[in-house]
Amino acid sequence: MKREIVRKIALRGLSLVVLLASAWPAPAQDAKTPYPTMAPLDQYLMDRNAEIALARTAAPESISRDAEVLVLGRHGYETAVKGKNGFVCVVERGWMGPFDGDDAANFWNPKVRGPVCYNPPAARSILPMTYKRTEMILAGQSKAQIIDGIKTFIKQDLPPLEPGAMAYMMSKEQYLNDGNHHNWMAHLMFYTPLMDGAVWGADLPHSPVMLNPQFGGAPEPIDVFMVPAGRWSDGTAAPVM
Amino acid sequence: MNRKKFTLLASLIFAMIFVLGAPSQMQAQDNKNAYSSMAPLNQYLMDRDAEIALARSAAPESISRDAEVWVLGQHGYEIAVKGKNGFACVVERSWMSPFDDPEFLNPDQRLPLCLNPPGARSHLPLTFKTTELALAGLSKTRMFDSIKAAFDKKELPLPEPGAMCYMMSKQQYFGRRYGNADPHLMFWFPKTDDKFWGAGLPGSPVYVHQYSPQPITEFIISVSKWSDGTAAPTE
Repeated sequence: MKREIVRKIALRGLSLVVLLASAWPAPAQDAKTPYPTMAPLDQYLMDRNAEIALARTAAPESISRDAEVLVLGRHGYETAVKGKNGFVCVVERGWMGPFDGDDAANFWNPKVRGPVCYNPPAARSILPMTYKRTEMILAGQSKAQIIDGIKTFIKQDLPPLEPGAMAYMMSKEQYLNDGNHHNWMAHLMFYTPLMDGAVWGADLPHSPVMLNPQFGGAPEPIDVFMVPAGRWSDGTAAPVM
Repeated sequence: MNRKKFTLLASLIFAMIFVLGAPSQMQAQDNKNAYSSMAPLNQYLMDRDAEIALARSAAPESISRDAEVWVLGQHGYEIAVKGKNGFACVVERSWMSPFDDPEFLNPDQRLPLCLNPPGARSHLPLTFKTTELALAGLSKTRMFDSIKAAFDKKELPLPEPGAMCYMMSKQQYFGRRYGNADPHLMFWFPKTDDKFWGAGLPGSPVYVHQYSPQPITEFIISVSKWSDGTAAPTE
């Protein structure tokens, strides 16, 4: 998802950053950490109806019209629409990305909007991590506190990962980074216990499978594989990288 | 002389009628009773090197070059190349199609797959078992019953979590109806509902195949490129 494009952009942009750094050290530093801390909460919030609509764009209408829809409130996610098919659609924010490293560049980016529709197994076993992170973020905890809190949550309260947990991320309106391709690509995500990405042939030349650095054991013990969907949820053609 | 010429001409015309007429007669027969019985075994077999190459074409070379490769012999599948990465590549034949597929025993079908390690462990036994039954000349009904009994007795495993395979060969051939179809990935689960992955719904990139009698659900996701990196048709 967003973490992958961030990683790719970070790698591709590294030489440019180095070049800029030699001439203009301060801007280069800003480019490395454009969002060092949390922005005011209002910048992460959306109009309720707009958020419902955006959340639903994560999957084709045939799936999302009967899905439960969550919206972000001041203290966490709230159910805005009850569902009938077991899917849950939500617009995730930048803090669902990695905590550290190049992939963390958009962690506090208030513009990030990641609409996702989780299938029923993922809604039961992955979505609780979205709730937990978000709850601690909105409580103003530091990254270190949040990581500790998640570790405790994993030990005590996290439901076991269900086989077949997956999600749709096919919104043309997704905003995953500040680069030229905010909406990266339409894709599906598959959640597994931690494993070697090679088990799915991920990230090998010409393989359509990618390993998302989103969780990867830091600290959530989950791997996320991605496969391009080829089309946005509205049926129009999407780029495939 | 004239009689000889006439005989020759008549023979040629007869031959042409026979040759030209044969496909439509055969097609009519196929439509009624397509591939109702096993063709001679040799029609299902391939040159060994060609089969290895075809099997490998199921996945990008970065995956298949270190995969185990199986080829079909007179008595079943045999390892042709030992692997190093846990993937296994194999060219399945038409008897791995659904039992109600009209091309079930079409000897021309060639279905190359590269299975990831969980897929190789849990799906290949089904391929081997079904092939064993086909090569033994069992009727479709007896094959169906044997496969069902094998699952009922737990002699065949259910799909392991994460079992999947690549099916991205440009040379794959599903038969007359689908040709080489499109490149795709397949994911296997113990039998589950189509809607589990939102499969088959309008706009969904996920398709589903419910096996029978195997208690297996297969989700299929088309991808945009063949294993060699060239673009596949968009539809």
